[in-house]
Amino acid sequence: MPSGTLLGQALISGVLAGGMYGLLALGLSLSWGLLRLVNLSHFALAFLAAYLTYELGTTYHVAPWWAAAMVVPVMLMIGLAQHWLFDRFKVNELASLLITFSFAVILEVAIQLYWTADYRRFETHYSTMSIKVGAFYIPVLELALCMVAGVLAWGTWLWLRKTYVGKALRAAAEDADIAAAYGVDHKKLAYLLSGMGAAYAAIAGTFIALIATLAPAQIWAWLGVVFAVVIIGRLGNPLGALLAGMLIGASESIAMAIFAPAWAPVVSFSVLIAILLWDPEWL
Amino acid sequence: MADLLSVENLSAGYGRAVVLSDVAFALGEGEALAVLGRNGVGKTTLLDTLVGVTRRFAGSIALGGREVGTLAPEMRAGLGVGWVPQERNIFRSLSVEENLTAVARPGPWTIERVFGLFPRLKERARQSGGSLSGGEQQMLAIGRALATNPRLLLLDEPTEGLAPIIVQELLAALTRLLREEKLAAIIVEQHAQKILPITQRALILERGRIVHQSESAALLADPAPLERFLGVTGR
Amino acid sequence: MNHRMGAWRRRHVLGGFVGLAALGAPAIVRAAPSGAPVRVGGTLSLTGFLAQTAIIHKIAAEIMVEDINSRNGFIGRPVEYIMLDDQSKPDVARSLYEKLITVDKVDLIMGPYATAPILAAMGVAQRYGKVMIQSSMGIPHLQTYDMAFPATPFGPEPDKTYPNVILDAMASLPTPPKSMVIVTSKFPSAQFMAKGMRLEAEKRGVKVPLYLEYEAGNRDFGAIAARVKEANADFLWVGSLGLESNQLLEALRKLDYTPKTSFHLYPAPGPLALSPDGNLVWCSTFLEPDEPFMSRPGMKKIAELYKERATKANLPYAIIDAQAAGMVAAWQILEAGVNGAKSLEDKQIAAWLKKNVVTTVYGPTKFDGLYNHGEPAQLIRQVQDKKWKVVWPKQFVAPGVKLIAT
Ligand SMILES: Nc1ncnc2c1ncn2[C@@H]1O[C@H](COP(=O)(O)OP(=O)(O)O)[C@@H](O)[C@H]1O
Ligand SMILES: [Mg+2]
Repeated sequence: MPSGTLLGQALISGVLAGGMYGLLALGLSLSWGLLRLVNLSHFALAFLAAYLTYELGTTYHVAPWWAAAMVVPVMLMIGLAQHWLFDRFKVNELASLLITFSFAVILEVAIQLYWTADYRRFETHYSTMSIKVGAFYIPVLELALCMVAGVLAWGTWLWLRKTYVGKALRAAAEDADIAAAYGVDHKKLAYLLSGMGAAYAAIAGTFIALIATLAPAQIWAWLGVVFAVVIIGRLGNPLGALLAGMLIGASESIAMAIFAPAWAPVVSFSVLIAILLWDPEWL
Repeated sequence: MADLLSVENLSAGYGRAVVLSDVAFALGEGEALAVLGRNGVGKTTLLDTLVGVTRRFAGSIALGGREVGTLAPEMRAGLGVGWVPQERNIFRSLSVEENLTAVARPGPWTIERVFGLFPRLKERARQSGGSLSGGEQQMLAIGRALATNPRLLLLDEPTEGLAPIIVQELLAALTRLLREEKLAAIIVEQHAQKILPITQRALILERGRIVHQSESAALLADPAPLERFLGVTGR
Repeated sequence: MNHRMGAWRRRHVLGGFVGLAALGAPAIVRAAPSGAPVRVGGTLSLTGFLAQTAIIHKIAAEIMVEDINSRNGFIGRPVEYIMLDDQSKPDVARSLYEKLITVDKVDLIMGPYATAPILAAMGVAQRYGKVMIQSSMGIPHLQTYDMAFPATPFGPEPDKTYPNVILDAMASLPTPPKSMVIVTSKFPSAQFMAKGMRLEAEKRGVKVPLYLEYEAGNRDFGAIAARVKEANADFLWVGSLGLESNQLLEALRKLDYTPKTSFHLYPAPGPLALSPDGNLVWCSTFLEPDEPFMSRPGMKKIAELYKERATKANLPYAIIDAQAAGMVAAWQILEAGVNGAKSLEDKQIAAWLKKNVVTTVYGPTKFDGLYNHGEPAQLIRQVQDKKWKVVWPKQFVAPGVKLIAT
């Protein structure tokens, strides 16, 4: 049986790693749950943002937070442009999957053309910094990521629950035609939400640049687990996405610590299947 | 033009099918109109066409003198068309209160006043819309339309399929809306006797056409057209 | 041009966008000698998860085709390399080789890289009796086709020979490590070596208190790092591919733990050498751009050209290494085989190769052993001042360089 230190440490790193799943799941969950658009290019946008952060950081020595401030608006515009396409061609759920898949492939190729397929690493002095608490180490960047993800998830949750726009969005997600007949301008709201999703991808991307090593094919590395997270966290539920991310991250990490690391990839889908079978009320 | 609503030469339907043909009527401020007719004659189609969710083939719909027949539903809602659909279509995933606030627009009908009209909704404010009983859903559907502060309320068979005691409660609320609040309304009903007393005017549809139009009081006094077109005496 | 399309069809259909085709029309390189060109077909994983290393192979191959054409070509005729993208997918590689041989009717084929595409291509080569030279299959016993030839000197049983090279190097340290943690990807060629490493280590009295396998594409190394830290062995052996070594070392540093000495199997050399965590780590190699390798025939010029083109292609690590050298050697072997046999007949080329010694950038190479392999020559390099230096075995170490203990 592994020691308490090992388990505790594994739990910490798992929850923190899950923060990234949650952050990536956030935008995906919003557009899937509220717009019925399954945006596979979310991952590609996040990586584009990561590469831009990397480029700004390594070539122009721009600090990551300034880079984020520049990249977020750019991604927001891309998100809006992408939504214009969805709107123009009246894209449905299935078609959105195919279209955003192709969009992601194109972005992957574009990234590869400019940055090559080679690995890119944005070395910063805080990339391996951690805080020691008792016997445990808490990596600073991942902690920051989780805090940002927490603020975003919580803020978005409140926004959906408390504001007129948020409630109108949820109403339109349930029945767009009826909502329209009550004066909800679903189209405008959809643009807003798509823009937001892309901005969230940009924020995730900034952290990806700092935490992970970049390679174009990595775009697809998160796909499976983040999809599981989105579903477990309930479509359109930002807090659920974050909590599900942390749950999956923690489960993977504990599985790696107690059993074999090779089990990790099965964990997310086992949890997903278990929860689907259990079918709790909140799902 | 003093009329709040003026409908002329209206034909509408679904896809290629024409359901309504050459419908014309007018409604003044503060007036209530009963729309009567058997199942499938096009009553719902008429209301839906006013809301803008069917296909309009010809004719005009003027609200307060402004042509709205070409506008999208959300624009018409903004101009004051409030709708209580036959299927109720409340937002099941939103709470009762959110159903109201999600579509609310400023005006005399605040959420508190809606709750005043339907105290049951206030009790269930935090429950999800999907958990309500049929009668409560109908109340919520009416409350939701009121929360948009409409100039014209469209009610599609508001008492259909409800227990008698609930029907009583709803009719009392409707009476209050029409008599005291002087809200302009079009009410679709199969049971004429329930609404003729609270409306000023009535029209009867038969296969998509208006076959009778008169004061409600006149129909109550002489129910012959009711017998002829609805096959009922005013029970 | 149109054969290119096959590889891309799937994406075209899904994407429905133009522009993709412009990405990489088949790279046809042609030069001096005369007559109808000898057409050599092959695939590289230009896109997909193996794409990181494709560009390295592509540059090396292009340099070699030019190099061969600047001499005598293949029996006096110019060489033309028809290179397609197998998208890192074995099934795509299989159908592309099929097409190259049956539709495009190429004269010869050149193998892809990485075990899975190589195995896929080898099946096709065998069916049509084509000689296939491959540069990078790390599990020699899988190469069962008698006209397939390895360009890289793994030797027939690297899982037995190479661990002993590492153990020898360990034994040469002032305080030889007595225990070893093995962490490996389940990627077949890494797992194959890791299993051999465990066996050989235990045979020589080095304890292995922890042996972990993780799935290829593992995202979070936090828990693995916690276990490595807890086991706290004298030596850490990592069966890594690509960036996994960087990820693991970073995760370890986040736990404020630096392994005493660590070895890394197939990491991305650039990022590991440049990483602050990479200092003094060990890694497998077959050559580095240093003595004695630079004195091998043609190596200086190739290394220079490689640096120039890799820089131009915007590669962050533009120095030729064992990966690129594998492709160089593969072409040197094909050149020697064709010109030695004075024939484009696959059977004759194969027969010539089995009887002769070819001098490649890896040194004199033979194909007369088990699985057409010759002597193993897998070495150890170490990051010193952010550069890779061959440090073991001693006869391959450049003057003034030595293995630095940690
Ligand atoms: N969505 C629709 N598509 C096609 N035809 C419809 C649709 N809805 C109703 N209809 C047809 O239009 C006619 C009028 O229906 P409706 O307006 O619902 O009648 P009522 O409300 O008076 O019972 C019926 O013949 C019905 O079959
Ligand atoms: Mg009806």
